[in-house]
Amino acid sequence: MPQALKKSLPHLILLIYVAAVLLPFAFVILSSLKGSNIDIAERPFGLPETWVFDNYVTAWVKAKINVYFFNSVYLSVTSSAAGVLLAAACAFALTRMKFRRVSSWVYQFVLLGMLIPGNVLFIAQYILVKDLGILNTHWSLFLPYTAGALPLGVLLIAAFMRAIPAELEEAAVMDGLSAIGLFARIIVPITLPALVTVFIVNFLGAWNEYLLANFFISKDALRTLPTGMVGFRDAFQTNYALICTGIVYSVLPVLVLYAFLQKQIIEGVTAGSIKG
Amino acid sequence: MRSSLRNPYIYTLFVVPTLGLYALFFIYPMLTSVGYGFTDWNGLQDTNFIGFANFERAFADSSFWNAVRNNMIFILFSVCVQVPLIVFFAILISQVRRFQGFYKTTVFVPSILSTAVIGILWGFMYDPEVGIINQFLGLLGVETIYWLADTRWALLAVLMTNAWQWMGFYIVLVLAAILSLPKEINEAASIDGASGFQQAWHITVPLIKPIISVIVMLSIAGAMRVVDIVLVMTNGGPIGATDVMASYMVNRAIRYGDYGYGTALSIMIFAIALLLTALYQLTFGKMRERVEF
Repeated sequence: MPQALKKSLPHLILLIYVAAVLLPFAFVILSSLKGSNIDIAERPFGLPETWVFDNYVTAWVKAKINVYFFNSVYLSVTSSAAGVLLAAACAFALTRMKFRRVSSWVYQFVLLGMLIPGNVLFIAQYILVKDLGILNTHWSLFLPYTAGALPLGVLLIAAFMRAIPAELEEAAVMDGLSAIGLFARIIVPITLPALVTVFIVNFLGAWNEYLLANFFISKDALRTLPTGMVGFRDAFQTNYALICTGIVYSVLPVLVLYAFLQKQIIEGVTAGSIKG
Repeated sequence: MRSSLRNPYIYTLFVVPTLGLYALFFIYPMLTSVGYGFTDWNGLQDTNFIGFANFERAFADSSFWNAVRNNMIFILFSVCVQVPLIVFFAILISQVRRFQGFYKTTVFVPSILSTAVIGILWGFMYDPEVGIINQFLGLLGVETIYWLADTRWALLAVLMTNAWQWMGFYIVLVLAAILSLPKEINEAASIDGASGFQQAWHITVPLIKPIISVIVMLSIAGAMRVVDIVLVMTNGGPIGATDVMASYMVNRAIRYGDYGYGTALSIMIFAIALLLTALYQLTFGKMRERVEF
């Protein structure tokens, strides 16, 4: 029946694509539960001969995945929160306070940052971090991550704040709110959707960042997940099952978060890229 | 009455932290880069101003031009191979009713994962002994390929990984543009007897030209920035086969302590990026004019 074929052909093609996306994960999860490289090599998609859940304990504790994991969580959350707060405060002053001429200069100046490709600044930032004496501390990542998120954050949040009607703040000011009160009690709650979007963009950026994390941090206890994982792979080069366990650990939290927040994540990340 | 919004101290308080951090980590490095680029600083000895010597060295450095070439291959691969596939898949997803949400959320997954972890994952898949890629090719009778160790295959292996990571992301962008088109146009065309393919080629593609232009631009920018995946999978090897400008620059500066030269390279990269942006504006940029409907 050509009609049925016509209807199912797109699904067939799309399912092949979906399989190409998902099969690597299936391969990694199955491999992480196997006891030997031979078992992985001989039956890549077969169930494990013996289920080795111990890999998960070994990777978490001995290989310090737990340390890397918490470093990543801690750095990503704090730097994204700081980035959102600073960008929101700045965007508020630029769009709602009455210093129009200065604001327009400041705004253009901050947006200049979006023209500069990140890698170009890498060496100079490395030297800067060294001169500040914070190389090999979490500050050496926290500060660039926070700063790196500012131009886009200011752009997105300012766009959102401009749309707030002036009557609202006039009423609030009449009721005696100061600028800080207006910001904290009126503007921030109203712009919350934009703040969440920017937070997600910042968070994923910091969570996945590799270049700075690799060269600014050499103390093992301070490493983040991406660099920790690379070190882990290099250390266990021949134990494929354990490497796969590490991959599962570093991918799983992101996937769980994605399952809950997929709509916000897709919107956030795409808004970030289109406007950037 | 509106004096609280005219308070200069509050204004300063709100603007200065952002401005300060931004200036420290963007503007200051930008300015010092220009300075370091003209010196022979190696992190240890005295620094001398050496004029344009670093730039002359870069122009004569075949390893750097090899890296530039690899970046260009990245760009060509993204624009000529990935973009058509992205548009194809986006149109396909837009035409199905059932499971549309499933396809959209699944193909997007790789783009939220860490590039470093994806590099490890794919390194494992390319493994000559246990990787599934060779096992799959083995079924077809292909002999074991040392994907990441063979100069003939390494760059292709990295390109495929990069495509796997980013295609879904762009598909979702294009899909959003397609879904925002008015439905009446395609309905009218299908009443007039246009096939699905004809509709896609004569109606949908022309209407989404602006977003295609955007993804071309984003692909070029992404291909210029690419570095994590290379550092994790091959570190530029084997013998420079996968080196890109940024990986070459980073290794020059940090591993060999050649800060002055590395910085000069970073200025060259910036210049090449500007040149490409100008080229893009003259070609694809014209497509960005708004399509009215």
